[in-house]
Amino acid sequence: MGLLSIIRKIKRKEKEMRILMVGLDNSGKTTIVMKINGEDTSVISPTLGFNIKTISYQKYTLNIWDVGGQRTIRSYWRNYFEQTDGLVWVVDSSDLRRLDDCKMELDNLLKEERLSGASLLILANKQDIKGALTPAEIAKVLNLEAMDKTRHWKIVGCSAYTGEGLLEGFDWLVQDVASRIYMLD
Amino acid sequence: MEERPDPNLPAKTLDHDADLQKKHQAMLDRLSTRHHARLDNSLARRSDSTNSSEATSSFLSRFSESKQSIDSQLADSRLIAQSDPSRLKTHFANISSSISDLEKLVAESSYFLPSYEVRSSLKTISDLKQNLEILNSELIPKRKFSFKNKATTKKELPKEPEPEPVKSDAVSVTNFKIPNSPGFRNKTNKTLIQKFKGTEVGEFTLSNLDSCEVRLIGCCNAVFMNRLKDCKVYLGPVIGSILIEEVEGCVFVLASHQIRIHLAKRSDFYLRLRSRPIIEDSNVVRFAPYCLDYEGIEMDLEKAGLSEETGNWGNVDDFKWLRAVQSPNWCVLPGNERVGKVRVEDFESGNEVADYRLFD
Repeated sequence: MGLLSIIRKIKRKEKEMRILMVGLDNSGKTTIVMKINGEDTSVISPTLGFNIKTISYQKYTLNIWDVGGQRTIRSYWRNYFEQTDGLVWVVDSSDLRRLDDCKMELDNLLKEERLSGASLLILANKQDIKGALTPAEIAKVLNLEAMDKTRHWKIVGCSAYTGEGLLEGFDWLVQDVASRIYMLD
Repeated sequence: MEERPDPNLPAKTLDHDADLQKKHQAMLDRLSTRHHARLDNSLARRSDSTNSSEATSSFLSRFSESKQSIDSQLADSRLIAQSDPSRLKTHFANISSSISDLEKLVAESSYFLPSYEVRSSLKTISDLKQNLEILNSELIPKRKFSFKNKATTKKELPKEPEPEPVKSDAVSVTNFKIPNSPGFRNKTNKTLIQKFKGTEVGEFTLSNLDSCEVRLIGCCNAVFMNRLKDCKVYLGPVIGSILIEEVEGCVFVLASHQIRIHLAKRSDFYLRLRSRPIIEDSNVVRFAPYCLDYEGIEMDLEKAGLSEETGNWGNVDDFKWLRAVQSPNWCVLPGNERVGKVRVEDFESGNEVADYRLFD
């Protein structure tokens, strides 16, 4: 039995999933993770480096890697790509000026071979803010329809501030990952 | 003393014996069932292993069958492209879905397949995908207006008659026109006043301002600033975050949950924050505590959760200076150089209507 298959079996038993959260700075990645975990979201500083949260979600254990989005540290994202089961791309739907930056960074990310098998959840965050683009509009701007046909993806509108939409998004992501890597269930 | 036979004793021993025998029997039964179970198990295991080699061969035949059918579909593409190009798209979609079915088959079977088979079938799949990709780009002309194209067209026209218009907030990416958000844009030497009322205030943008004074009174959810030069910016509390990019020679008086400062030069920031301010690619920026006052500011501060001084204004993280020693890019503004309390009025007599309507 190879090492890889042993690791796979162990992972299968413990029902672990590795989720990577990325997106531009100020998109709300850390707030989303804290909100899901039921923590206080009112005093979050911009992430210098990364946070790891282990959360039990349904019958799975999610290891969520929340990586800072400032331009200086985006080049370190690649250090977290290995073994990623689910990718969450967070968009600040009210930051209209930087949507082209957002599209460019996402396109770069999706070219990455190590992420090619990961399910992609796009969270159109900050829907509570008046003037924010709807998920459908964000999908158009990011040109999601043109994505590689083999990628499993979904876009969900949410507000990390109110919590709306977060569960819908993560439910989909966890189900999708589970149906791929826990075939025997 | 004579032995006194107890009439109950023999009966008791008998009972006892019967008990023991029962237990003994039960134990024997248990052992034998366990033995059988073990035998069954090992038989099952043995048949399992034969199963798995059978499964492997059946997988391989299924795999090669679907591979052949995908190959022939791929080969058909050129014919279709000549006879009926409109069908190409669905044709490619079909192929792509059969490839992903095949991929699924491999994933399902990966737990019993020898690793060599897994690898070689994954390789085959990626080859198929590549072939599909190549055919797709060959036979279907690219229609999307991609990001890269946009950049190059810009470069092709560097010498426009008028100076290149400063990058507007309304960028059109692909085929979608992004609307402008409320805000003040492209102004020089103006006093710009905005009052936020009620709860229906979203984000606000300050962009391309030169030598202006901006007063935003009341609470809003988010503020974006970019390209400000020699401006004074006084902001009521922001519930969410403030994002600042490319500012020079400015004074900011700001309160919010978070603030991110990029590409700032020679600017002073008077802040009250619920988290640590960050700077990136900035230099000669100085920090001091918030000092704004207007009628009703106490209520607004409370609404934004900022009624207390947090001391965070001095906890600056410099993303371009990740070391323990103080960053050379920022410092605390010395007390004798700070402005005192800044008192701004709701409006200046006369221009109230014009300024209010900018947002409503």
